[in-house]
Amino acid sequence: MTQDAVSFTAQGVRRGFFAAQVMAPGITLYAMVFGVLASERGMSWLQAMLMSAAVYSGSAQLAALQGWTATAAVAPVIVTIFVMNARYVLYSAALQPWLASLPRHQSRGSLFFLGDGNWAMAMREYDAGYRDAGYVLGSGVAMFVPWLGGTLVGHLLAGSVPNPAAFGLDFMLVAFAAAIGMVLWRGKSDLWPVAAAGLMALALHRLLPGAWYIVGAGIAGGLMGAWRHGR
Amino acid sequence: MAVESTFLLALLGMGLASFACRIGGFLLMGYVTITPRVEAALKAIPISVMVGIVTPAATSGKLPELLGLLAVGGAMKLLRNDLAAAVAGAATVAVARWVLV
Repeated sequence: MTQDAVSFTAQGVRRGFFAAQVMAPGITLYAMVFGVLASERGMSWLQAMLMSAAVYSGSAQLAALQGWTATAAVAPVIVTIFVMNARYVLYSAALQPWLASLPRHQSRGSLFFLGDGNWAMAMREYDAGYRDAGYVLGSGVAMFVPWLGGTLVGHLLAGSVPNPAAFGLDFMLVAFAAAIGMVLWRGKSDLWPVAAAGLMALALHRLLPGAWYIVGAGIAGGLMGAWRHGR
Repeated sequence: MAVESTFLLALLGMGLASFACRIGGFLLMGYVTITPRVEAALKAIPISVMVGIVTPAATSGKLPELLGLLAVGGAMKLLRNDLAAAVAGAATVAVARWVLV
């Protein structure tokens, strides 16, 4: 890998923002589902919006709502967020070589908006040699805006929100991951990590709730990649 | 959680937990020397996570999901564009669910 200079420009932010627009409809509809459920749980529109802004993670917010009752203790809800978002630890570790040389406000600001879809897109760009880290921020903001907007609309519409599954939108991230996985495939050297990741995901998906299968796949593949290095 | 202060406490905790996850890996890697072996591990993570995300759908045995993944593969071969392939996959799933269910 050549040591290309890392930059952070408005052009990169714009490029990421526009590239990630394809994810916006799915994000909006999911946020609407959260808005509906939040209103059913007795949250005001402001509370739902604040939660979407602070947590900004569909799976984590929906899981946290499960434990959201009038008498709920705060701690279990926070633990739920940790568990559901554990995969982001892995995501930001993989982004570290790209963002490390940037000023703190740029690297941490970009990571605040990190999501599954924009991380996948950013890693694909990094793999292709692109080094303008503005892309990470731009693609993240492109998903944050519809997440907030969808939350509000869902809360206001309450019951009359269409089911994302009817439009195949629940499949969007899976389809995207499959396509980007094909882009990232470099040949036989990836075979072992991919096999380890697939087996780990298969096992954990059956054994554990939540997104642990994604975390496990990343760790298993990473360890296998390190082990196979130079062999 | 009708009490406003309880909500704000929960909000603060949830926000911090979320952000801690998002910068956690980044900060931890700051203490790790990036040897070629560590770099190999980091490079293997993205494709491994993609495989992880796809695995439950690929092994679900549900026809719409399998057709959707085939559509993604076909569109990638034809168009070499991941965005178009993802849209083709989601559209295929939508149509297959509508036809098959």
